[in-house]
Amino acid sequence: MMHEIFSFVRGPMVWIAFTVFTVGSLYRFISMWRLAKKKDSVVFNYFSFFYALRSIGHWIFPFAGVNMRKHPAMTVVAFLFHICLFVVPIFLSAHVIMFKESWNISWRWLPDPAADIMVMIVIVCCLFFWGRRIFLKEVRYLTSVSDYLILAAVAAPFISGLWAYHQWTAFSAVMIVHIISGEILLMIIPFTKLSHMLFFPFTRGYMGSEFGAVRHAKDW
Amino acid sequence: MTKQSPANIATIPDEGIDKGGQRLTTDQITRVISRHLEEEGGARLKIYMETCVHCGLCSDACHFYLSNDHDPKFSPAGKVKQALAPIIRKKGRVSVDFIKKASEIAFTECNLCRRCVMYCPFGINIAYLMLFIRRICHKLGVVPQYIQDTAHSHSATMNQMWVKEDEWIDTLHWQEDEARDEIENLRIPLEKEGADIFYSVIGPEPKFRAQLIYQAAVIMNAAGMDWTMPATSGWDNSDMCMYTGDEEMVARLKKVHFEAAMRLKTKRIVMGECGHAFRSVHDVGNRYLGWKMSPLSVIHAIEFYYELFRDRKLRVRQKYSIPVTLHDPCNVVRGGGLHELARYVIHETCSRFVEMHPNREHNYCCGAGGGVINCGPPYTKKRESSSKVKADQLADAMARGAKVIIAPCHNCHSGLEDTVKHYGLDMEIKFLGDIIYECIYK
Amino acid sequence: MKQNNIFTYTVIFSIFLLIGTIAAFSQEDIENVHDSAFKKLTRPAVAFFHDIHNDKAAIEECNVCHHMFEGKKRVEDDDSIGMECSECHYKEPVSSIPDLIRAYHLQCSGCHLKQKAGPVLCGECHRRE
Repeated sequence: MMHEIFSFVRGPMVWIAFTVFTVGSLYRFISMWRLAKKKDSVVFNYFSFFYALRSIGHWIFPFAGVNMRKHPAMTVVAFLFHICLFVVPIFLSAHVIMFKESWNISWRWLPDPAADIMVMIVIVCCLFFWGRRIFLKEVRYLTSVSDYLILAAVAAPFISGLWAYHQWTAFSAVMIVHIISGEILLMIIPFTKLSHMLFFPFTRGYMGSEFGAVRHAKDW
Repeated sequence: MTKQSPANIATIPDEGIDKGGQRLTTDQITRVISRHLEEEGGARLKIYMETCVHCGLCSDACHFYLSNDHDPKFSPAGKVKQALAPIIRKKGRVSVDFIKKASEIAFTECNLCRRCVMYCPFGINIAYLMLFIRRICHKLGVVPQYIQDTAHSHSATMNQMWVKEDEWIDTLHWQEDEARDEIENLRIPLEKEGADIFYSVIGPEPKFRAQLIYQAAVIMNAAGMDWTMPATSGWDNSDMCMYTGDEEMVARLKKVHFEAAMRLKTKRIVMGECGHAFRSVHDVGNRYLGWKMSPLSVIHAIEFYYELFRDRKLRVRQKYSIPVTLHDPCNVVRGGGLHELARYVIHETCSRFVEMHPNREHNYCCGAGGGVINCGPPYTKKRESSSKVKADQLADAMARGAKVIIAPCHNCHSGLEDTVKHYGLDMEIKFLGDIIYECIYK
Repeated sequence: MKQNNIFTYTVIFSIFLLIGTIAAFSQEDIENVHDSAFKKLTRPAVAFFHDIHNDKAAIEECNVCHHMFEGKKRVEDDDSIGMECSECHYKEPVSSIPDLIRAYHLQCSGCHLKQKAGPVLCGECHRRE
């Protein structure tokens, strides 16, 4: 039984997850592009690469903007969280070795203790975000159930991954949970608020263009 | 300082919203909104609504939020959550009461100052979303009465204040006459074809503040400018329709304005010290007419004054000695980047300048702009109590010596006057033109 | 008293004998998969009981695992007993020969998956104990 489940989640399910993610993302990009062409031509007419990059640059650099300096804890957490969120899954030894096994390709991987710490950082950051939603009234007011669910969806593969790596208990079950939760996370990115990952460069870049080229002002 | 909770305000009824609401049924609302979403709800609306991760980081940007005890209902995203999210979620199937509430939020609890755009990590344009709601309210006919009246004036007379053509010409003659007592042979040249400068003002100038036209004429005269004003429609560059969501009227108004300047074969348009008019001419109206940027060069008074001092066209007789501070209006600073030019003019004309904090792009809104003050008496108290953070900012500048607030924008001017009065601050509010008029060789 | 002493000595001697026998008996068995090419281990070493595994898996021929290749062709009647895996499988893959890590993983979990028996998840072999 275990072998069947594992074969599925490690085989076809991975293909399904990556396909849903890439095709879904492409679909979101293309349909949004076409919608914008039809109804928001202003976005294309006023888009300026220089000012778009100027704005994006200021917002992906820690403490470059006024609001980031106003919320130092949030800034540190947000940057650590996003860096670890991307680096760990891609450069974890166990993940690279899976690619090595399947496709005979590999790249440098992180030392396991480093990855271990980074995963804990992700989990602590998730707790921080959770705490914000509970304790800050301006965030609590905006928060709905789906925001908690999405936070849980992000945290799940990392918690289960940490658990599986340390083999605390019920290793096999947790390992399967880890794989499945990771695949679910990948699949929901294009269709939930996690799509901010896809659209960030566009919203930021467009606003940067308007502020820079038309309004001659900063937007950070 | 007086503090008012949002509960005991808005006691004066707003007929625009109340009577507008009475005419509606849920079915009508649904029909209008779903058509509106179909026609105008594009990728920006979709991405803005979906990308917002409800982080709440926009809150600190908003003077409504900061002034109302950090009430999350007044945060930018909080207003979107109340007034727009249900419309999208229910595809327009919302009640009459909901629309009335949404109208009040979008028209009177957001100045469209776009400060929050600079605080959102994604650059979500909350002002766009608020205008989206306002346009829905416009289509439904549920717009606060006072601002709707200015929009009606725009469509009937092509100016904001029901000024008739003869009244306009008469006012100019009157101001020319007055000014001649001071400066012999001064002219306010009407209909002068081929002049370098087409000078346009907002409707309230001939209506309430005619002395500003007088001052402008004196400055033009002192600088030796070749300028003119039209005797026809097109003299008013203001645009309350931009704030009521009446985009069709925005296009008509700007067309008349640009065409008056072109008919007189002028080289460029110089605008008086108004913020929203600059937004309308420089950024918004031109787009509705199909121009990427305005079809002929448009410069705001701040930039014009800057040029006059830079080119030594004006000479300062004696610098203004009372300490001044500068209020950076959203539409010419966050919307036009004129903050350093304004400071240049102040340093040329004033001997003591005190910065208020925050300043430049990060300045707090005056509380009046975006059509909020134009929504009239029913919302005055809410507007005043929502300017608490502005009052604190002004009080701080006052504590550091500032006695005069320079506000190069009409809306800011009126808003700051209310704030100063309401919070008992001992400060005077002036236009840049007032200062220049006082201290130059005429 | 004397008898008691003799009994105690007998017990102790028997225990030693038992341990010795077990040790001698297990000498045949490999307890951990090891290869001199693995200098510093990233994950815990994999326990492997050679005879028990082969009994359970009913493997008769040595070269099912200890295979020998000539070019791309497997030599049916030859084996690689006594050789370390790293003598052919290097740190990096060379033409069609898989690298050492991949060779181990495919050899073990590849077969387990195919046979639907035996450990396949990372931590089932690389156990922390």
